[in-house]
Amino acid sequence: MMKKLLIVDDEVEICEFLKSFFEDRDYRVAVAHDGVMAFEQVGIFKPDVVLLDIQMPGLDGLQALKKIKEKYPKMKVIMVTAVETQEKIEEAMRLGADNYITKPLSLEYLEKDVQDKIELLAKGV
Amino acid sequence: MPTETDRLNANKLDYQEVLRDVARMMVRLKRPDRLLKIITRFIDRQFGLTHTSLLVLDPRKKRYVFVNSKGSKRLPVSLVKFDVDHPMVQWFSGFKQKQPFQKEFLFLSDVKKMLSRAEYRLASNSKADQLAGIQKAMQTLKAELIVPGYFKDTLVGVLMLGRRVNGRCFTKQEVTFFQTLAHDCSMAVKTAEYNQSLVEQNQELARRLEEIERMRSKEQKTYYEIMRSLAEEVHAKEPNIFGHVSEVERLGLMTAREMGIDLSGKTKDLLSAALILHDVGKIGIPDSVLSKPGRLTPEEWKIMKTHVEKGARILEPLTDFKKVREIILSHHERFDGSGYPRGLKGDQISIEARIISVVDSFHAIVSSRCYREGRSLDFAIHEIRNCAGTQFDPVVVDAFLRALKKELQKKGEIPRSLLEYAAG
Repeated sequence: MMKKLLIVDDEVEICEFLKSFFEDRDYRVAVAHDGVMAFEQVGIFKPDVVLLDIQMPGLDGLQALKKIKEKYPKMKVIMVTAVETQEKIEEAMRLGADNYITKPLSLEYLEKDVQDKIELLAKGV
Repeated sequence: MPTETDRLNANKLDYQEVLRDVARMMVRLKRPDRLLKIITRFIDRQFGLTHTSLLVLDPRKKRYVFVNSKGSKRLPVSLVKFDVDHPMVQWFSGFKQKQPFQKEFLFLSDVKKMLSRAEYRLASNSKADQLAGIQKAMQTLKAELIVPGYFKDTLVGVLMLGRRVNGRCFTKQEVTFFQTLAHDCSMAVKTAEYNQSLVEQNQELARRLEEIERMRSKEQKTYYEIMRSLAEEVHAKEPNIFGHVSEVERLGLMTAREMGIDLSGKTKDLLSAALILHDVGKIGIPDSVLSKPGRLTPEEWKIMKTHVEKGARILEPLTDFKKVREIILSHHERFDGSGYPRGLKGDQISIEARIISVVDSFHAIVSSRCYREGRSLDFAIHEIRNCAGTQFDPVVVDAFLRALKKELQKKGEIPRSLLEYAAG
C-alpha cells in the first residue's frame, strides 16, 4: 500500500516543495492551504500522516487538529511551527498531536519522523 | 541575420565589470544583506537557471538556512535548515585545512563520480558517507553545483545552483565567477553581522550609561534633600529666624528675575540650591558661638567665618553642585574686595553670590536675632542702599529694591524709604 501524506501550509511554495520532496520518496501527496481545506482533504484523501502548519489564516492549525483528531483519532498529525511558542506546542500536544517540528527544519529529520509515524500505523499503534 | 555566435557574444558577460560593480555596491550599501538579494537575482537573470539559492550561516543558532532563492524551481526560504553536522557543511568546513588541493566547489556529476571511485568507497568510510549525504541533499534540492563562501576559515554560506534551463554546462570561467560571488556574499554577511553587533553593543552601552546616570541622579537627589533639611535645621537652631531659608530663596529669585537672568531649567535650580544652602556650613559651628546672645569676640568671629568653607566642603560629594559650592564659598565676599574668605572683588564674585549677599543681609536686618530685635523695613532698605558699591554690587541692590517695591506695591504698603528711592 502506498504511503499517503497530506501537507497543510498557507504558503503555496512550501507545499509544492514538500510535495515534490515526498513524491520523490514514493509517497502519495495531497496539499491544503488552510484548516477548512485540510479537514475536507482528510475526509476525501484519507492520509496516513498530516503535516499541519500551526499559523494559518481562518481555521488555524490547532483548530484543524482538534477536528481531525475528533473524527479520525488514529490519523497521525505532525505539527509544524515557525515560532516555538511553548503554549501553542503544549496545546497541540494536549489536543493529541503526534509530534511537532519547528521551521526551519532538517529534511532528514522530517522524512524520518513521517516514516516513523507510518511504521507506527503499520504496527497498529 | 545574426548568427548564434553573435548572439552569444552580445550576451557574453564582462565578468570583471560585474565583480567591480558588486565590490562597489558592497561599500555603498548601508545594509549589506541587500547585496545577497541583488547577487541572487543577478545570477538568476544572467544564467537562466532552474534556481539560484543562497544558504547562510546563522551563527547564533549554529545552522545554515536559505535566505534567498530565485528561479522557476526556487526553494522556499526559511523552511529548510542544515545543521553544522550535516555532511555538506562538514565537507566544506574542514576544507581549507584538510583538503588544500581539492576544488572548492562540487558538481553533482563529480559527486556521483567520486562515489563510484574505489578510493572513496574503500579508503575512508566517513568521506564516502559525507559524499552520499551531499548527493542526497543536492538531488533533493535539485542543485547541479554548490559553491562555498568563506570568511577567514569559517564557512559562511553556500551558493546552490540549479540546472541551466537551456541545458548547457557551466564553463570554468563561470565557476570561478560564482566562487568570487560566493566570497562576496560571505563578506556581506559578515559585514552585516558586524554592523549589527556594533549597533547592539552601542545600545547596551547607552542603556548602561542611562542606568548609571539614573542611579547617580537619584543618589544626588537624596543627598540634596538631606542638605536641605540640614539647612532648615541650622536655622532652627537660631531661634526667631525660622523661615529664613525659604524667605531668602524667594527674595533671591525675585531679584534675579528683576535683573533679567534667565531662570528656566538648570539656572533656577542652581540659584535656588545656593539660596537654600548658603548657610549649611553653620552645622559645623558650635552652638555656643552660633546661638550666643550678645556680641561675638574676635576669636568667635573667626570661628563663625569658617561656615562658608565648611558649607562648600559639605557639598563636595554633589558633583552636580560644583557651581553651588563656589557660590556658597563666595556669599560673604564684598563688592569692594574686603570680604571673606578670599577677598574677591566685583566680577570675581559670581552674580549668584552677589545676589545672596544682598538678600541674606536684608533678611538678617529685618529678622530678630538672639542678641537683638529685628529692625524696620525702612532701616533695612537704608542700610542696603548705603552699602551699595562697598559691600554690595549696586546693580544687584538696584534690582532688589525695584523688585521689593513692586511686591510691596501689590500689598499697598510701600515704606517711605522706597518711595524716596524711586524718586531719587
